[in-house]
Amino acid sequence: MTVLFAVLLPTIGAFILPLAGKVSKLLRNILALLLVSCSFILSLILIPSALSGHIESFRVAFPLGLDFVLAADPLAVFMALVSSFVGSIIVLYSFDYINHYENQNEYYAMVVLFLGSMMGLVYSQSLIYLYVFWEITAIASWRLIGFYRSPKDVLKADKSFLVTAFGALVMLIAFIAIFGMFGTFDLTVLKGHVLPGVLIGLILVGILSKSATLPFHTWLPDAGVAPSPVTALLHAAVLVKIGVFVFARLFLFTFNIGVFWHTAVPVIAAVSALVAAGAALIETDMKRIIAYSTVSQIGFIFLGLATGNPVGVAGGMLYILMHGIAKGGLFLTAGIVEQNTHNKDITKMGGLISTMPLTAVSFLFCAFSVMGIPPFGGFFSKFMVISGAVDAGQIAISITFIIGAFMTILYLFRMFNLVFLGEARGKLAAEGSKLMVFCVVLLAIMSLGSGILISYPADFVRIMVSQVGGIR
Amino acid sequence: MIIAIILLPLIAGLISLMVPDRLKGVKEGIALFSTIIGLIIAALLFKQNIMFTIPWLGFGIDLSFRLYHFSAFILLAIAGFGAAISLYSVAFMWGKEKLNQFYAYFLLTVAFANGAVLANNLILMLFFWEGLLLTLFGMIIIGKKEAFKTAIKAFVIVGITDLCLMLGIALTGSLADTFTMSMISLPTSGLGALAFVLLMIGAIAKAGSMPFHSWIPDAALDAPLPFMAIMPAAIEKLLGIYFLTRISLDLFRLNPGSKISLLLMTIGALTILLAVMMALIQKDYKRLLSYHAISQVGYMILGIGTMVPAGIVGGLFHMINNALYKSCLFLSGGSVEKQTGTTDLSKLGGLGKQMPITFICFIVAAVSISGVPPFNGFFSKEMIYDGALERGWIFYLAAVLGSFFTAASFLKLGHAAYFGKSETANKTKEASWAILLPMIVIAGLCVLFGVYNPLPLHALIQPVLGAKLEGRDFAGLPTNAIIVLITLVVLAAAVLNHWFGVRRTGKGIGAADHIHYAPGLSQTYDLAEKRYFDPYDIGMKIANWLAKLLNAVDKAIDWIYEKLTVGVTFAFTSAIRWSHSGNVSTYVVWSLAGAAVAIIMVLIR
Repeated sequence: MTVLFAVLLPTIGAFILPLAGKVSKLLRNILALLLVSCSFILSLILIPSALSGHIESFRVAFPLGLDFVLAADPLAVFMALVSSFVGSIIVLYSFDYINHYENQNEYYAMVVLFLGSMMGLVYSQSLIYLYVFWEITAIASWRLIGFYRSPKDVLKADKSFLVTAFGALVMLIAFIAIFGMFGTFDLTVLKGHVLPGVLIGLILVGILSKSATLPFHTWLPDAGVAPSPVTALLHAAVLVKIGVFVFARLFLFTFNIGVFWHTAVPVIAAVSALVAAGAALIETDMKRIIAYSTVSQIGFIFLGLATGNPVGVAGGMLYILMHGIAKGGLFLTAGIVEQNTHNKDITKMGGLISTMPLTAVSFLFCAFSVMGIPPFGGFFSKFMVISGAVDAGQIAISITFIIGAFMTILYLFRMFNLVFLGEARGKLAAEGSKLMVFCVVLLAIMSLGSGILISYPADFVRIMVSQVGGIR
Repeated sequence: MIIAIILLPLIAGLISLMVPDRLKGVKEGIALFSTIIGLIIAALLFKQNIMFTIPWLGFGIDLSFRLYHFSAFILLAIAGFGAAISLYSVAFMWGKEKLNQFYAYFLLTVAFANGAVLANNLILMLFFWEGLLLTLFGMIIIGKKEAFKTAIKAFVIVGITDLCLMLGIALTGSLADTFTMSMISLPTSGLGALAFVLLMIGAIAKAGSMPFHSWIPDAALDAPLPFMAIMPAAIEKLLGIYFLTRISLDLFRLNPGSKISLLLMTIGALTILLAVMMALIQKDYKRLLSYHAISQVGYMILGIGTMVPAGIVGGLFHMINNALYKSCLFLSGGSVEKQTGTTDLSKLGGLGKQMPITFICFIVAAVSISGVPPFNGFFSKEMIYDGALERGWIFYLAAVLGSFFTAASFLKLGHAAYFGKSETANKTKEASWAILLPMIVIAGLCVLFGVYNPLPLHALIQPVLGAKLEGRDFAGLPTNAIIVLITLVVLAAAVLNHWFGVRRTGKGIGAADHIHYAPGLSQTYDLAEKRYFDPYDIGMKIANWLAKLLNAVDKAIDWIYEKLTVGVTFAFTSAIRWSHSGNVSTYVVWSLAGAAVAIIMVLIR
């Protein structure tokens, strides 16, 4: 039952938030935070059972193969922990960020609904409910991206919705075909089956569009028009991880995919990582740079997962964690800078380290983690991904990714340099509110702590990886 | 004990980061105390053999440490420099800003360096090794207000080489099926060669070899001086050459005459010559030294690259000698900077009388680096010459030419700073004892390691080679009399050259002008001073060009969404709209035509 509550509390609770907002803003805010952190706490409670092998599950039988199945296996618990933790911090950050805009009730409802359906997605053991939750996240993010409601914002929101929904529909075709072949949507039953290449390709279209990978990635930088906590939620912590999660869920833990895909996916990921890194070096809009960085880093996750060997998969999983924390921190620091300078163009900033030192240092910490500098967490995930790829014999692809990692250093430093160092070319704004700074400092410390205490997540991931069926 | 030598400076560093600037003397006390204790521990650990493993991440990534003669030797050297330079820093940095950060980065550097040396697992080593990036960045950025540009430059250069190292380690681990260093022994063929080159890039870049050098001269001007004495002059050289030796002797089975050996020797020879040519024309005390910090690495790489015993022993001996005299030289520069407020050679002069102890230490270090007998640099250079000559006269020629320019540039530096006249000279006093003591100790070691070279060679260096030494002993006087004779002739030529230059311009600082402004060289020097040859700037141009290309690809893909898809959709809908004209008779015709098609299809079946 714990797993059911982890999903239902935020999903249903989201609809109470607008009502709570009529009573008191503070009540609504705290309730939103409680709902999201409840998922986190419930997922924490699920850890022992997930690791011991007695996986807690919940099942309601429905006709036509529409059984509602939730199960808290290590993969699901890991993903739920990462997204609900980062999600909680983002909700907390929103208190101060969003409090002078309109439509706050809808904002909190959509954020919590989004995180709730994310919980549903990760715990689902049925293809059809996976799809349903997938589309709920798409609708919620559509509302959230167009939050400011200017025609341009709405256009970009439509773009992201159309691209991801297109991908999802293509994926749905594959799901229906799977039902036609095996007569069930239940992933526990489907485990170990071999999928035809066409279906893998169709599902991959959905995955790549959701995880903003080439050639379906351009909606992600455009979605930077959203409020910063939303971009953090969408681009860093949760939405883009859906694709990589489903990749792991379907192609590592459920179906067997052929050798061809173990090479094809890294190639796509490599091109994506390089092209996005190049764009990040040219762009001048702060949030677009970080968004392109996400596209680039997602490539690393795909590489790790697609290697199919334990080191690579474990690296990919750790990458999800490290990137979620660090990139969330980067977006939130960008949010502080954006809100206080009323500017997103990095060529019109500079010298901000003198007025917002904590934000600057937090940015640097998170950037170090994304770059993969020890002792920050990103180091381990980056090394393990590369090591897995080399083990899989993909030397050329590994070299490409090393170039990508190098460009990561360049664009993050370019940004840090232009925003925080040197002469002030724009307004020298004051530090953000205490609550917002607390959130980014927390994420910065987490970036460092996740590296120093790496053995805990690594233990978790090791047990998870030992259950992967598709590993060669 | 092993863990203590890593944790002690680490914890001390973190504590001093938290000490507020108000409490004067606390950070200094912590730094001094922890480095001296570190030196004692390192001395106690010397000659011990310890190896142990603690599980960490799994996947072959363990906390595996190994103390044996080589790591104990480097450990002792790091601890020695750490203690000397922390004493120096107390006096030199006193009263400056951001001291808590300085001491924190300083102690963390020592901790990470100790960790990297002791690690017996390649990934653990990489963890500490790459961690040095942070302290490097931090130490430079606290220097001047504009120092962040240099800090970023250093970070980017060292960062990319660390990424190469990361790939190399992944590849090595994959080939050897283990990350435990003491269990790896790979051939350098096929992928093994690639792995070696990647590891080598990491090693020589840490040591500061060309083409990964160009941040060092910039940092010489921007970073606090003790940073130069501890990082590029001592710890980075020790680490880089330590790892280069490890991969060349232990991790890979390298042969003399192999292409990789040739590659190493070429890099070494080019680094010697190009960097020393740049050093010759510098007009700033610290910047001149920084180019020598690069040039001297060339000797070590050349020596180890020869893959013959004389060369390897010489390379390692040169590593420790260079760390001694180079940090002594930087410290003398700091002493001058502290007392006169400048390191610009055109403003300095006549300091020999006012600062006699600094001057003597400078002379000892300068003659050591120039390879004058019986100082330590002479003996290590002779061995490298010996090894280089065994592999090809061209490498020997490069090394000897390098020595000529080294001697010439130190004659120029010494003349310009300590002889002659300047406005400030008479008012200048000798530095305080805390600044002088480290210099005196280090200069003393330069003499000791030369006059009594069996001490370092027998106790520190020759055990590293073990069986590869082939039973030879390089202690005592050089065996090849002809090489020694040539060395002496070259040194004499350098003195003559200096005399000529000074007579021509009348000033010590102009001693190299006849080379600087020689036809052909003059234009090349101009371009080099304008950074046309800076690999960093060239690399940045390439990266920028690549980024533009990739960005164009990205924007082309976006065009498909923004323009093509939208265009096609509108074209399609407008075509459909055209057919919905509202004219009933048209609709009737369409319907009849459709029905006709349907009927025909049914009939055909």
